Amino acid sequence: MRKNWKTGTALIMSLLLLTACGNSGNTPASEQTNTAPGKEKEVVNQQPVKLKLLTISSDQARQTIMKEYIKANLANELPGIEIEYEETSDVGAKMKVYNASGELPDVFWSGADYATAIINAGNQLNLEQSITDSGFINKFAVKEALKYKDGIYALSSGADAYFTPKIFYHKDIFQANNIEIPTTYDELVQASEKLLEAGIQPIAAPGKGGWAPAFFMIQNMIQIEDPAVAQQLVENKIDFTHPVVKNGLDRVVKLAEMGAFGPGAANVDYGPAKEAFTQNKAAMYMMFSWELADLEANVPDVGIFDWPSAGEKYTPGSAIQFWGSPLAGYAVSAKSKNVEAAVKLAQYLAEQDAKYFTDTGSLVTLDVGATSTPAPLMQANIDAYNEANIKIPSLTVMMDPKTSTEYSNFGSLLMTGDYTSDDFIKDFNDLWLANTYFE
Amino acid sequence: MTRFFSTNTSIFIFAFPALFIFTAFVVYPLFPEIVISFQKHNGFSSQGFVGFKNYIEIFSSNSFWKANTNTFIIVLLSTAAGLPISLLLAFLLDSQANGTRRYFKAAGMLPAILSVTVIAQMWMAIYEPQWGLLNSLLRAIGLESLSQEWLTDRGIVIFSVAVAFLWQYIGLNTLLFYTGLKSIPKTYYEAALMDGAGPVKSALMITIPLLQEVIKFVLVISILGSMGMFAHVEVMTGGGPGYFSRTIVYELYYKAFMSSEFGVGSAVAVIYVLQCILITLVLNRFVAREKIEF
Repeated sequence: MRKNWKTGTALIMSLLLLTACGNSGNTPASEQTNTAPGKEKEVVNQQPVKLKLLTISSDQARQTIMKEYIKANLANELPGIEIEYEETSDVGAKMKVYNASGELPDVFWSGADYATAIINAGNQLNLEQSITDSGFINKFAVKEALKYKDGIYALSSGADAYFTPKIFYHKDIFQANNIEIPTTYDELVQASEKLLEAGIQPIAAPGKGGWAPAFFMIQNMIQIEDPAVAQQLVENKIDFTHPVVKNGLDRVVKLAEMGAFGPGAANVDYGPAKEAFTQNKAAMYMMFSWELADLEANVPDVGIFDWPSAGEKYTPGSAIQFWGSPLAGYAVSAKSKNVEAAVKLAQYLAEQDAKYFTDTGSLVTLDVGATSTPAPLMQANIDAYNEANIKIPSLTVMMDPKTSTEYSNFGSLLMTGDYTSDDFIKDFNDLWLANTYFE
Repeated sequence: MTRFFSTNTSIFIFAFPALFIFTAFVVYPLFPEIVISFQKHNGFSSQGFVGFKNYIEIFSSNSFWKANTNTFIIVLLSTAAGLPISLLLAFLLDSQANGTRRYFKAAGMLPAILSVTVIAQMWMAIYEPQWGLLNSLLRAIGLESLSQEWLTDRGIVIFSVAVAFLWQYIGLNTLLFYTGLKSIPKTYYEAALMDGAGPVKSALMITIPLLQEVIKFVLVISILGSMGMFAHVEVMTGGGPGYFSRTIVYELYYKAFMSSEFGVGSAVAVIYVLQCILITLVLNRFVAREKIEF
């Protein structure tokens, strides 16, 4: 009995201690501090302001930006600010932990897939007033692209808006096999057949986790028949049972069935897919134009072409899908004790991104007073972007996290070649109809 | 002094740190987990209680049942195939000369101490359909028709991942069995030999019964280890294609962290805990009930 009592006491003590240390992180939005910049207490001493930054380090470009731009220029451009850096490839997961602890970083990378939850919890600052007052907003060429519902919640270089899915190809392989650039989907299929006969993998694309199908392939296979249908889908006016949408899915399936993406395509990651192209194992590479600068510099025979047509309503290049979301970029915590400094830091970070992209020949919407001469392919890409009559946002950023992950999930099955468009519609359409993004 | 260490107070003092850590990291997290499993929760905040809706959603989801089936397959393979193979290897190890035995003990231990990521990457290279070792070998010996897309074929992907998992821990299990073998007094075998028992009969009548404590231990860690399999799936397939290689723990992770459905993920976690408790109870009830001393 005595032993039981002691054990019980120990358990209760442990629970009480843990409960006291915990924090639900569910403070209602109405109770949260949302200090307007300029109204906070002025920093009276000369001590530098210390801010915590959680940012993304998902790829080489982001790591270069951090090392060679953000860290390298901070002391000169923001002398009064000291940063505690934290970098991760999965900011969303980290933000959930921070949100639960109630201690959000002052500035963090905002992603379209998780930002709505932080905004709805009142933890992501509406930056519109601050950047309008400071005049920073005037540096953006397309101000409307920053808006999400009632405000501006993230600052980015605007490079995302110019990233479009392209088909890269090896000129040498095409020439050696007498293949012309395909202008129709049927020609793309014929080119793939010819390459398969020659023992060359026709197309490389990352299929693991449904990356390529979800981020661009399904959407482009729809819009090459009728861009208006893709636009309607993105605007939530139709669902996946639409015949043109089904045709688009069938086009992915057809390429997968014939082995155009290579064996095991549904488990090929981003890096290996790119490597298959750069090492001449694959003749074509379906990817966003953010890879253009790197490929143009490192693959001597690289060329690009627009998605081929699958109907009379689209000619190659007449419609494009663009990446980017108003919720992607640097955001400020509404709970930051140094909101004014944090906003300055977010502005600085967006500018450093813009400098990097400008230096590598990409277009940005944030004017940082820098110019560069794009390499020939990059210029061709910019021209193609400007010439496109219809610019359609990415379907995947119009989904809540659940819909988006399931879209990728079932998209990966399309790459296996033994999963039909009907299977996809049966599995995914109800989830699409329950998508809460538009609510 | 001895009397002091056997008092209830001293037992309590010495047990408290372990008890506290167990409570903090095992018992306590279960309570908020259970609460969240009845909520609509996106990982950032709760949108209110939804009763049993999360549980209904799970039980009507194909991916949950597939994850359960996959987990069951892995548990079955690790016990029905993994354990006998480990035991057989332990017998083989026991019959080797000292130098050979030392080499295989070290070699058997190596995969278990390597990172799962390293092992998973190695098996991904083995399974690679174009240039991977397995398909290349099959082609080289004229069995090209047997070559497969090992990690993207919905029918075989879970077996491919399970083999990598089994391979990593088979050496460790072998060493555990071998340690058990060494603890059995030689006199039993000498007596059996004098009574005319051969090696097989000795193994069946002496070794296996006297190893039951070790067998129980290996069984428990194999089953619970297989139940908790996650990293191999994450690295090798990401649960794909689709949801066809998810395990129950991967399903939990997918729902909570990828799909941002913390309520549903927590419900999966609660079911998983119940499954583990049930399995442990069954094992304790039916395996090695009486301690054998020798």
